[in-house]
Amino acid sequence: MSQVVLSIRDLHKIYAGGVHAVRGVSFDVHEGESVAIIGSSGSGKSTVLRCINRLIEPTDGAILLRDEQINTPSADVNEVRSRIGMVFQSFELFSHLKVLDNVTLGLRHVRKMSKEEANEVALEVLGRVDMLDRVDAYPGNLSGGQKQRVAIARALAMKPEVILFDEPTSALDPELIGSVLQTIRGLADEGMTMVIVTHEIHFARDVADRIVYMDHGQVAEEGPSSIVNEPKSDRLKKFLSSINEEH
Amino acid sequence: MTTTRPGIERIFSWSALDEKSRVALLVTIFLVVSIAPAVGQSIETGWQVVDSGTDTDLNAAVTHGESVWVFGDSGTVLLSEDGGLSWEIQAALGDSDLIAADSSEDSMAVLASDGLVYLMEGLNADWQTLDSSRTDMRSLAVTGSESLVLVGDSGVILEYSTGTWTERTSVFDKDLNDVSFRDDLNGFAVGDEGMILATTDGGLSWDYRETPSGAEGSALVSIEYFNPYRMFAISDSGQILYSTSVGGYEWNLREIESVGYNTSLGVSLSSLNVVSSSKILFAGEDGFLGLSLDQGLNVEDNILPEGVSTSFNDHAMFDYLAGIVVGDGGVILYTESAGENDRVGFEIPDYNDFGEFVEYADEMLLGGFIATVKVVLFGILFGFLIGVILAMMKTAPTSFKNLFEGVQLSIVKGIGGVLSVTSVVLIYTGGSRFGDLGLEGLEYIFTPVGDPEGFAMFALGIGLLALGIQFSLADLKLSGPLFKVRPLNTLATVYTDFFRNTPLIVQFFFIHFGLSLGMRLQQIFEGAFGDAGLDGLDYFFYGDRTFLSAIFTLGLNSGAYQCETIRGAIAAIPSGQMEAGRSIGLTYIGTMKLIIMPQAIRICIPPIGNEMVNLVLNSSLAMVIGYSELSRQGKLMVATTFQIFSAWGLVMISYFVVTWTLAMLLRRLEDWSRIPGLGISGGS
Repeated sequence: MSQVVLSIRDLHKIYAGGVHAVRGVSFDVHEGESVAIIGSSGSGKSTVLRCINRLIEPTDGAILLRDEQINTPSADVNEVRSRIGMVFQSFELFSHLKVLDNVTLGLRHVRKMSKEEANEVALEVLGRVDMLDRVDAYPGNLSGGQKQRVAIARALAMKPEVILFDEPTSALDPELIGSVLQTIRGLADEGMTMVIVTHEIHFARDVADRIVYMDHGQVAEEGPSSIVNEPKSDRLKKFLSSINEEH
Repeated sequence: MTTTRPGIERIFSWSALDEKSRVALLVTIFLVVSIAPAVGQSIETGWQVVDSGTDTDLNAAVTHGESVWVFGDSGTVLLSEDGGLSWEIQAALGDSDLIAADSSEDSMAVLASDGLVYLMEGLNADWQTLDSSRTDMRSLAVTGSESLVLVGDSGVILEYSTGTWTERTSVFDKDLNDVSFRDDLNGFAVGDEGMILATTDGGLSWDYRETPSGAEGSALVSIEYFNPYRMFAISDSGQILYSTSVGGYEWNLREIESVGYNTSLGVSLSSLNVVSSSKILFAGEDGFLGLSLDQGLNVEDNILPEGVSTSFNDHAMFDYLAGIVVGDGGVILYTESAGENDRVGFEIPDYNDFGEFVEYADEMLLGGFIATVKVVLFGILFGFLIGVILAMMKTAPTSFKNLFEGVQLSIVKGIGGVLSVTSVVLIYTGGSRFGDLGLEGLEYIFTPVGDPEGFAMFALGIGLLALGIQFSLADLKLSGPLFKVRPLNTLATVYTDFFRNTPLIVQFFFIHFGLSLGMRLQQIFEGAFGDAGLDGLDYFFYGDRTFLSAIFTLGLNSGAYQCETIRGAIAAIPSGQMEAGRSIGLTYIGTMKLIIMPQAIRICIPPIGNEMVNLVLNSSLAMVIGYSELSRQGKLMVATTFQIFSAWGLVMISYFVVTWTLAMLLRRLEDWSRIPGLGISGGS
């Protein structure tokens, strides 16, 4: 088995209001592996994802990036975040910057690259997400799918060790989803380590090497993507059948 | 889509006007021009024509004792015994032209163009005839009862002493035009190409003096050695040279203020007469007579009596008021006022006449306008800066808990101890000041009157005491309510609450008079950059302490309001933007600077514009500290002219011009900085 990139050990999160959103979640992510986290709304899957790059501070438990605990006060949070890419549900592109500058911002101000170097890297990753023809556009002039592909390029440009996707297609119209999923599938084929929170069961089954099913803040079932076809636990069976009813 | 810029041709085009509009415009212009200010004053000449009894050209005039002598062409000699009012023709001295004359206490001498010199020793004595045997001499000076110095072409200097002529040829061969002695030893001679020579031994040896730059090519035609500290010379191209150094070692070219700091009066000068250490009379060709009361800095053209337009050649003055000037064609003019133009009658301005009101008010209004624009520009910059800083402080999430996380507990407790001790000292000092006031009883606890400093210490002490106790009692988890306090936010809140809950006019009084902020800043600037001159950039920035106080008061006040506006704009940026910035590894400050603020500022341009317009209007309150902005000038205009409608009307229009321009600029800025998908679209 290849090296463990990310390891989550007994993660707990209790929000200020007393809601116990995550109750002892543990799983590992290996090099080049893509892990999909599925589960119904409120099951705590987004909280887990945000805890990984400390946008939310976990209440208890450990998160290890390459065997190094990152949720301690002494860990340099900015350095950690620059090693973990994040793609948001609502894109969160910087609307005052052009596409190219959106991608180069982190390179220039975090990686301290020169403008020329940063542009070179940015053009390369924009090519990978097929956005080379819109480098001079403002985000306000892009479609949802294009925005999300730029956001993926922004995460990729930092050469992260793992990319977190927080429901990357939920805010998209159905006909725009395809291009984004294709981009993510391409990354998976290239061997990018990824953690994807998604509602797209079919996509999760196609792309993910492993699926983590969460319910009520706990991992209810975990296994290879085939568990979607042959669920063992009752809760996953129920979840899958409710989704199938919708479709 | 193309946008057309409104050029001048769109605002005004003569060809686009119809017939009626053209007539109306011309009539308006005519009316405006014809409201010329009425002046109830006439200016008359200070010279009067006296009958000389001759019409030959008169070349030289000297006073000798109580009499005044005038010499002219063909040996003409005129004498006046009554101070220059009536003249008698005397026996001619030879038949050559008499070209120069000089007198001292003992003797008078006249130079003729044929080289003869006529000398009169003592008063009313007979003329002696001396023969210099040269015909190229141009001027002479009497250096003693029987000694003379003559100067002439090619640098020739002749010295005569009791019957002996000695030639002192200077090494310079420029033609010399005039010579002047202060006493029997010290003298100057001047000539072509800016030549200045000096002697200190009665003319035996001559030194060269450096010509001031700009006068190298000028023919210096006359010099006067008035006293050891005052020497003046003139050139035929209208320049005035002066030296105020003992011995005349340094000469300067006067930049004449009255002709726009030009170095030339623009007329060909022929004679000057220095009558006091600052008063100089000038004469020149084509009817020029001038008077300066400040050593040539300002030269006033004398008005000439009607019908006189001759070229003048020489003055003879009895004292600093009375004297004569002589010129070509036998002209002699007499003055009792050094030729100063005589102002007859006095002016009663009629401010009901709009032209006269404008004549009085325009400079004041313009001054006020500039002062307002000045304070507004700096106030806006300063206020915006403060607003941005405060807004960032207010939105900063850092609490004491965040600050102390990872810090050893003993250090936190130590800080708590220091704070507690400091606070006790503050409370004790502030409290004892209350005691000093002799106010007893609980009802005086809210009485800051008399000692606001003590009150401030007391209040600050109580605040710090609470923090100190909390820090001292800190546990590992830093629980406790005061650890949730965000210090930057608290500071900014105190600031904005203070400035938004006190009247601006009181802030002006407090900052300018109470804190003496303007004076203190001025002293700091002067310490750093030297004294503020009366003009120039120094004065612009820190010469006026009311200006400094006004900038700071307006800026501090406006900053408090702008802070809330900018804070609102920051809140309007989706929280995901901060998360996105942080998730690529930017720091909080970096994200604010690169991502949040650029978007927030764009959003808040319209409301910030509102604040800026308010700042312009609020600047009128700066009048209470004596800053001479538009409103104060308006008040002064009303006080002098009583034209209440016109004065305040003009002030109002001026304010409108400033605010409206500002609003236009902000609208342009909004268009220019607009970005797709951000801010209000479809506006303006």
